[in-house]
Amino acid sequence: MEARVGAEAKGDCLVVARQAERASVTVATKNRNLLETGIRTVAEAVLEALGTPGVAIEVQDQGALDYVLAARVEAAVRMVLPEAKLIRTERVERATSAADRPRRSRLYAPGNNPRLLVGIDIHGADCVLLDLEDSVPLGDKAAARVLVRRLLAAVPFPDEVWVRINPLDAGGREDLAEVLEGRPHGVCLPKAESGEGVRDLAKELGEIERRLGIDVGSTHIMPIIETARGVLRCEDVAEADERVAVVAFGAEDYTRDVGARRTGEALLFARSRVVAAAKAAGVQASDTVYADLANDAGLAEECARARDLGFDGKGAINPRQIPILHRAFSPSEDELAQARTIVDAAREAESRGLGAVAVGGRMVDQPVLERARRLIKYAETLVKGGTA
Amino acid sequence: MIQNALGREIPDRIGSRTVVPFGGAFAKTATGTKAPRPQKVAAQREDKVLPSIEAAIEACGLSNGMTISFHHSFREGDRVINLVLDACARMGLKDLRICPTALFGVHEPIVGHIESGVVSRIEGSMNGPVGAFISKGGKLREPAVLRSHGGRWRAIEAGTMEIDVAFIAAPQADSYGNATGIPGKTPCGPITFQAVDAQYARQTVVVTNDLAPYPVFPMEIQQGWTDYVVVVDEIGDPASITSGTLQLTNSPTNLLIARLTVEAVKASGYFKDGFSFQGGAGGLSLAATKFLGDEMEKAKIVGSFGMGGGTKILVDMLRRGQIRAILDGQAFDLDAIASLREDPAHVMMDPGMYANYDSRGCSTYKLDAAFLGATEVDLDFNVNVNTHSDGQLLHGIGGHQDVAAGAAMTMITLPALRGRIPPVVDRVTTVTTPGEVIDVIVTERGLAVNPRRGDLRERFQAAGLPVRELADIKRDADRYIQPVRRPVFGDEVIAAIEWRDGTVIDVVRKVDGWQ
Repeated sequence: MEARVGAEAKGDCLVVARQAERASVTVATKNRNLLETGIRTVAEAVLEALGTPGVAIEVQDQGALDYVLAARVEAAVRMVLPEAKLIRTERVERATSAADRPRRSRLYAPGNNPRLLVGIDIHGADCVLLDLEDSVPLGDKAAARVLVRRLLAAVPFPDEVWVRINPLDAGGREDLAEVLEGRPHGVCLPKAESGEGVRDLAKELGEIERRLGIDVGSTHIMPIIETARGVLRCEDVAEADERVAVVAFGAEDYTRDVGARRTGEALLFARSRVVAAAKAAGVQASDTVYADLANDAGLAEECARARDLGFDGKGAINPRQIPILHRAFSPSEDELAQARTIVDAAREAESRGLGAVAVGGRMVDQPVLERARRLIKYAETLVKGGTA
Repeated sequence: MIQNALGREIPDRIGSRTVVPFGGAFAKTATGTKAPRPQKVAAQREDKVLPSIEAAIEACGLSNGMTISFHHSFREGDRVINLVLDACARMGLKDLRICPTALFGVHEPIVGHIESGVVSRIEGSMNGPVGAFISKGGKLREPAVLRSHGGRWRAIEAGTMEIDVAFIAAPQADSYGNATGIPGKTPCGPITFQAVDAQYARQTVVVTNDLAPYPVFPMEIQQGWTDYVVVVDEIGDPASITSGTLQLTNSPTNLLIARLTVEAVKASGYFKDGFSFQGGAGGLSLAATKFLGDEMEKAKIVGSFGMGGGTKILVDMLRRGQIRAILDGQAFDLDAIASLREDPAHVMMDPGMYANYDSRGCSTYKLDAAFLGATEVDLDFNVNVNTHSDGQLLHGIGGHQDVAAGAAMTMITLPALRGRIPPVVDRVTTVTTPGEVIDVIVTERGLAVNPRRGDLRERFQAAGLPVRELADIKRDADRYIQPVRRPVFGDEVIAAIEWRDGTVIDVVRKVDGWQ
């Protein structure tokens, strides 16, 4: 029995594991003198944690960081020894996050690609989304799970980090059992179509949280609405469980499902429904990704439209999109100034015992005042979180 | 053994020379005079054209132990260095010293010439395969000497590096010895790097594949300096002359560093009308230059000059009126070469003008900001561009020292994490450029400001930029990698690294073992 995990690609390593009489590690690297000892140390630590089983390991290194190396070795050994359990490692401290924290950007990163995963924490995304679903080929799912878990344990994300799992009955449960060890802030459920599906996920999360000693209920859920059925039932999805913090819309799968072209008009119904469902449930709505990386103006335009519809943020497929998203989904200086004027006027009116307030000749009614207050509070959160 | 001002241990003598230790970036003062140049007298109506390189070697009286020099403006596309050395080998010459302005991968055949004794000493630059060969135990008769562009010019003028025959590859020349890199069948940009060789060498040979009627111009190399002209079929491969590195980076990490660099420039106080800068040719520098142009446009700032290596990005800025001039010693792409030909505001310069310590003015001293790369930086802000962390000597100095010493704000851009080998270290393997002339280090995990520049630190902090201690950036990166082993160096010196003033800032020793 032989297992091959990883790849000979920059930032990664290829690990080949074979059953053998005794545990052994061989290392190939372009920089043997500098690097062999360190690589060997990491690989041997993994074997030792598994009880030094009879497995021969070959590492072909291409500049993989320690957590990548360890993940590759661990995944390879567990493939040749199915009875081997996952290795508990030290992990960085990670505080739970508030359900209503700003999520102007959710940055996707493919869960089995170290070249794109390493450094994914430094681009200022409000929410990083490590993907185990569409970006990971079927044969790599097991390796990706281990890599994502090790990454979560090693990297202190300044903001939120989530994991997009596979559908529960297609690997999702295995995903959860593995990655919850790394304490992500939330789990993203693809192709959400019913309240029941969300509740199944919530139940599973609750059990794992209890088992691992995590505060029960602290792991958020982000259902993605990306099918016709999902769009029609998104109220159920949004209201299904307290854990739902944000409902996302995915246009790629949706257009395929309904046979639409990807135009603003074709998506308007779905987008509006998702926003209404999310807001009715008192949670955030996040728009689909924008795939044309070279077109910053197009992205800014789509962000503006999404914000007009009521979305709170949008997906990003590359870190370079983040500044555009953050500009679009943050209150502008003008909006903030206007909101402050309204709140000040209301305070003044109240202190003088007046019921009605007018700003710039327009009556300020309760919803307008409420919105102004929310905007100011939101802007303060952005500054405090260092995400402005 | 002596310790220089940076605490680096340097032998008193290296090969046949007595070492003057580095004493500080601007410590050396002017003394004495420059070296005399050989007298040359032309016969009337002289035709300088010779039929082959062999004929030129013979006519120059090149013999064993002599010194020959080359330029690098053809970069990876160069044919001439190999042509000349192959001819020397065929003619049985031995023990030559070569003085290239830089070497590239294409010059790997030099390794064979060292092994067979044709080449025994190298001064100037020792990049790539030749450096690797020497690092791994290949023997030269004396340690190599590495100099910056300005340092090389200075050493020739000072008489420290005497050249017997300068071989100058020229995309176009006339039969009277005027030569240029701007027009021609295979243009490479200015060939001014060897203008000093041409004036000081005992003999000067222009090698061209495009002999044109008199006069060719511009005249980077002048008739009064040239002894012979040789016409060959091929001097360079046009596809490799403009380097493949001239692509904007698409690495998210490098783009982040480029953006942070430009944010720092904007906050630095230098970013106003008359602003001047130098950008390099790497993908990250190109991206930073591009973003800088965008920001200048937004802020309606007109810069005084941009310094090359010229690239399309700089040329576009000139055409849009965002900078008043380009000062260029090298051209990295065809747009820059065309612009040099057509636009008087695209000014050609030689290293003597832009970088010579022993002069009354360097263009680099007029720079506000420069962004440069590095293989390593250390907690004292010293920079290494010559060796890798395993002690191998793989790169020349280029203009690094000259630009860093000159610019009011020198920024080193490098990722804090580069695979498993940490770029931010406690002590650089080799000092190329001292920390005293480095102002800011920009990484994807924040920027570190030299403690000498409290003014910049305050400005960056006021602008909300992520200013951090370099030690903290290092700690952040090191958590992801096991410590690497460090080479143990023996006594044998394989190369001296000269500071641009001719003092020795560091030496490269042979690796003896591993810690």
